[in-house]
Amino acid sequence: MASSANNDRPNHRTARAFCLTSAFWFAAAASFGMIGAGYLIAPDFMANIGWLHFGKARPMHVNLMLFGFVTPGLLAAAFYYVPKLLRTALYSEKLGVFTAILWNITLPIGVVGLAQGRSQGREYAEWPWSVDMLIVVLFALVIFNLVMTVRRRLEPIIYVSIWYVCAAVILTGTTYCIGNVIWKPSTGALLGIPDAILLWFYGHNVFGLLLTPLGLGVAYYVLPLATRSPLYSHTLSLIGFWSLIVVYTHIGTHHLLQVPVPTWLKTIAIVDSVAMVIPVMVFLINIWYTVQGKLGTIHADIGAKFVFTGTIYYFFVNIQGSMMALPQVQRVTHFNNWVVGHAHIGVLGFAGVVAIGGIYYVLPKITGRPLYSRFLADLQYWLLLIGVTGFAVVLTIVGLIQGNAWLNGETVYRVLPEIHLYYILRASLGVFIISGAYIGLYNIFRTLYFNPGAATACE
Amino acid sequence: MYYPYFITYMLAGFVISVGVFIWALNNGQFKEQQRARFLPLEGELETQPVRGSRMGRLETYALFSLACCGLLASAAVLAFALWRAP
Ligand code: HEM
Ligand code: HEM
Repeated sequence: MASSANNDRPNHRTARAFCLTSAFWFAAAASFGMIGAGYLIAPDFMANIGWLHFGKARPMHVNLMLFGFVTPGLLAAAFYYVPKLLRTALYSEKLGVFTAILWNITLPIGVVGLAQGRSQGREYAEWPWSVDMLIVVLFALVIFNLVMTVRRRLEPIIYVSIWYVCAAVILTGTTYCIGNVIWKPSTGALLGIPDAILLWFYGHNVFGLLLTPLGLGVAYYVLPLATRSPLYSHTLSLIGFWSLIVVYTHIGTHHLLQVPVPTWLKTIAIVDSVAMVIPVMVFLINIWYTVQGKLGTIHADIGAKFVFTGTIYYFFVNIQGSMMALPQVQRVTHFNNWVVGHAHIGVLGFAGVVAIGGIYYVLPKITGRPLYSRFLADLQYWLLLIGVTGFAVVLTIVGLIQGNAWLNGETVYRVLPEIHLYYILRASLGVFIISGAYIGLYNIFRTLYFNPGAATACE
Repeated sequence: MYYPYFITYMLAGFVISVGVFIWALNNGQFKEQQRARFLPLEGELETQPVRGSRMGRLETYALFSLACCGLLASAAVLAFALWRAP
């Protein structure tokens, strides 16, 4: 079937560059994750190579997943759908490609900085100051490109996906500066409790105001289109958007429920964590009603399959999150692997899986050729699914063992032998994920370059 | 004293959000909601027939059972926690 779309044939170079960026850093970050998992099994693993011990591999893994894999992956789809939905071209493809190149310069500088021990030592804000500044510049470039595209739009109505992506980059651009205390280059931190409050305000906003809105934006675009169904309700989607902005912005203190921060702040955080059920269910009801009865169609499209699976993990991670914000529950789940399980369900199961889905959905459209291999994409799907579900189960079990033991007054070193087996299981499951990451990198690379597929729109 | 900075930041965020909301209201972003539902579909009118294959069906069952396992595991954790609660 000949391609009927895109009569002016935009080249989508920005979207392409971001697809490749995401696929590459996914593989790199998974490799650091495996190294971290190895250290947890055998602390003298890799004979304590100075620049790569656990304290360095961990922030490399986490920050590369967040800023190397998931964010660029979700932005790749956005750079495709924003112009499309606004019936205009991207403001500047050159600027977009420049942003992608700068992105790929920034991340290695960050990794080298962490390897040299120049971490700022605050979770999710470890990058050294110079890298913080580069990231702020990157967000500013993305904001400029997207907002200028919105300004030049031919379509007067701004579809909900665009609301989400613009809010995500603008809010993150600001919270990143504040959370990383960029006005104090030497420490990147305030002192004492205010620093913890500020850090977790920013930390949770990475998930709530960056990954979540970017992910929802992709889902709101891909799923109606893949199933050829209009969105169940656009009004409902806007209600979801504004309630997310109201509720998600100040739940960061639920990370500090067992810390002496002001009680009123904890109360706000807990109440709003539970209130998160509103934007979450609004989204899920809307999107699941949209695709109702069309599961077969979703199944036939690998991109949509990934995205839909991401929405299921979104359900799980949020329900779990709302419960984890209850102080009684957190007495068991805090400071142990339960939270690491939650983190992988959220960042990988929801945001990462949606990002890959977005990439696979837009790739055939931007290249005008089918995916290099649908089989490899399906294989990657199953590897990731088994990996992340396995992580969720194993880490939750470990978390419960640790949480109960510490609640009962057991010392750490007596618990460690008990959980050793589970760490081995987690590393084994990591092999599924890392294989999926490298297979995805190959597939995406081959789809973009040296793709033998017929040069027509796919399917 | 860190409160003044936090409060200023919160106020700024609030004022900007309200500003954007009012802009959206006046700009007609909450009108034409019926048409907005169709925006992703515009310009993409070719429909693709769904090819249901046996593998596809098997995969659906496998996925469905995986989701059920997830729910059952969650239920089991809850039941266990309640049973062991002091
Ligand atoms: C309703 C929404 C959510 C709520 C109420 C929630 C709640 C929580 C809570 C209370 C914690 C802290 C646990 C502790 O330290 O004891 C936490 C941690 C975390 N959450 Fe969520 N969560 C939600 C959604 C998400 C989503 C969508 C993601 C990912 C995209 C996510 C990613 C994370 C991560 C990575 C951590 C680990 C933070 C750390 O390093 O300590 N969460 N969440
Ligand atoms: C190859 C597969 C992977 C392995 C072996 C792995 C391993 C690890 C390890 C060992 C940690 C440190 C946990 C600790 O300190 O106890 C960690 C943390 C983390 N990983 Fe992974 N990971 C993998 C894949 C991923 C993926 C694909 C993502 C996201 C897309 C991700 C996101 C995170 C996050 C957000 C944290 C921080 C958790 C927290 O602070 O609570 N990981 N991972």
